[in-house]
Amino acid sequence: MMLLALAIPWFGGIVVALLDGRKRRTGLVAIAVLAASFIASIVNGIAIYRHGAQEMVAGGWEAGVGITLRLDTLGVAFTVLSLGVLLAALAFEVANGVQTRVFPALVLLMATGLTGLFLTGDAFNFYVFFEISMIAAYVMTSYGGQPRQLRASFIFAVVNLIGSVLFVIGIAAVYHITGRLDMAGIRDQMPLVSTSPAILTATIIFVAFSIKLGLFPFHFWLPPVYTGTTPAVAAILSGALANIGTYGILRFGGDLFPRELARGGNVLLILGSLSIVYGALQAISRGSAGEVLAYSAIGQVGYILIAIGIGGRAGFVAAILYAIINSLNKTALFFAMNLRGWIVSAAFAIGAFSVAGVPPALGFFAKLALFRLGANERDWWVVALVFIGGAMSFIYMFQLYGWRFLKPADGDETPTPLVAQLITGAVALALVALGVWPEPLLALSQHAASVLPGVAP
Amino acid sequence: MILILSLAVAVLFGAGAYLLLKHDLLRVIAGVVLIGNAANLFIMSAALTRGAAPLYPLEDPRTTSDPLVQAMTLTAIVISFGVSALLLGLIYLVYVAHLSVDMEQLSSAEEEQAGVDDELAAAALMPVDGDEDEAVAIAMSEHSE
Repeated sequence: MMLLALAIPWFGGIVVALLDGRKRRTGLVAIAVLAASFIASIVNGIAIYRHGAQEMVAGGWEAGVGITLRLDTLGVAFTVLSLGVLLAALAFEVANGVQTRVFPALVLLMATGLTGLFLTGDAFNFYVFFEISMIAAYVMTSYGGQPRQLRASFIFAVVNLIGSVLFVIGIAAVYHITGRLDMAGIRDQMPLVSTSPAILTATIIFVAFSIKLGLFPFHFWLPPVYTGTTPAVAAILSGALANIGTYGILRFGGDLFPRELARGGNVLLILGSLSIVYGALQAISRGSAGEVLAYSAIGQVGYILIAIGIGGRAGFVAAILYAIINSLNKTALFFAMNLRGWIVSAAFAIGAFSVAGVPPALGFFAKLALFRLGANERDWWVVALVFIGGAMSFIYMFQLYGWRFLKPADGDETPTPLVAQLITGAVALALVALGVWPEPLLALSQHAASVLPGVAP
Repeated sequence: MILILSLAVAVLFGAGAYLLLKHDLLRVIAGVVLIGNAANLFIMSAALTRGAAPLYPLEDPRTTSDPLVQAMTLTAIVISFGVSALLLGLIYLVYVAHLSVDMEQLSSAEEEQAGVDDELAAAALMPVDGDEDEAVAIAMSEHSE
């Protein structure tokens, strides 16, 4: 089953790449393939719930020689989340009419990369899957083919290639200092490594993931890319691809380098706070919907980083919860950005409430988790930051709502396909439903955080 | 040996970083390729601590270098090869769209687009009394000239 979750989008992607993606039939086939791998991931999740985490070595090699695949709650939670976002985005784009031949295949290949990355137990294999999903993303950003998208795609590709190179240098450094590539081996060896090479390696890997995540000093590429691309691609980038950064920092920081993470905790707190303030201030001052959402994405990432920086069990739980909620929020908002109609308008309002952290939208629980974390650790400035950041996000989200929806529709706008409106509505409905009944999600993030052995008592 | 390799990595990375800052996009890509190769050399040097080449039959396993990094480098070379081809394709499309591969001209196009966006947003914020479409049309036409 573990291999099936990986094989379905992989082979499906190759087959769909041969077909013409602009035809509706191909789009439907791609949706079916993606739905199958989504279900396979959920089945994997149920298997973990029943039997605990599983490991297997690919290709029938001995353990320690072959590449390990590992199934645990943290990985599966992010897989299901990312595949869900990809599924919604693909269905959304098929409903709007796909413009280029390769788009459905790209979504499937990105799903392959993400699934593999969240399942692998081998650091170098992580890099390979990481590149698979990034290459799909480079091509995807140029979707639409207008000069603007091409520029966005070029910036995105060059900056993120530098990030990938840094990451592979980090992996080589890890191999050099520990002599291992499997994550279990690295985890055992890291405590024996002396401090300065360990800190240096951890910093390189952290910077590589921060570039993916668009954290404050590494954010410069993000706004032109998010504003340049189409809404579905922006939703994929911020809802599915950015999960690599969160998962990477959690997995490498919390699991493999807990000692270095604890040492660098204050740096993470400072960068996170700067991200929140900078993102919110920029978002308030921006004029176009794409830019507001792009800067809001930079700010929201800051909250995740603060939770990781505080660390410990509660910190990781809050970080996972925030990451899941944030990617659902961004998906709903980017979908609703350029559409019209009362469903979309309601969906946007729900997404905006969720970003600002107003109940009954799901975002309330994300903010609550951080608030509790700050109060328990007696970090009062974290509490203050959550309040101020929440207030500022309230301002920019409803400024945007006012521009987009509280004015009569222009006559010349193309009518929105009903299916696209319904998909946007469904994502927003999920935000409310999970906000009213959040226990499963809370339990999931608790369970996912317990995977990380770096959790200090 | 380690010193020579680390110098080579440093020079490659430095040259790549220098090219990345150029205006000509082709040089930017050359810079990306150089930095990728610096990383490949770095991976190779991560296990060059024991000496002899790992060719079969092994003379003495204790003095043989680790072959795993070479497999890793090979993977990384293939990936960077694919990505460079992709980037060159992308540059070609950029050239077709702008008839230029100069960063300054592209960013002036970016600013122009941002200007259109701002004016559209400003037009959208104007009081609704029927002139709105006109304002949008003006904003569009100013930039099409």
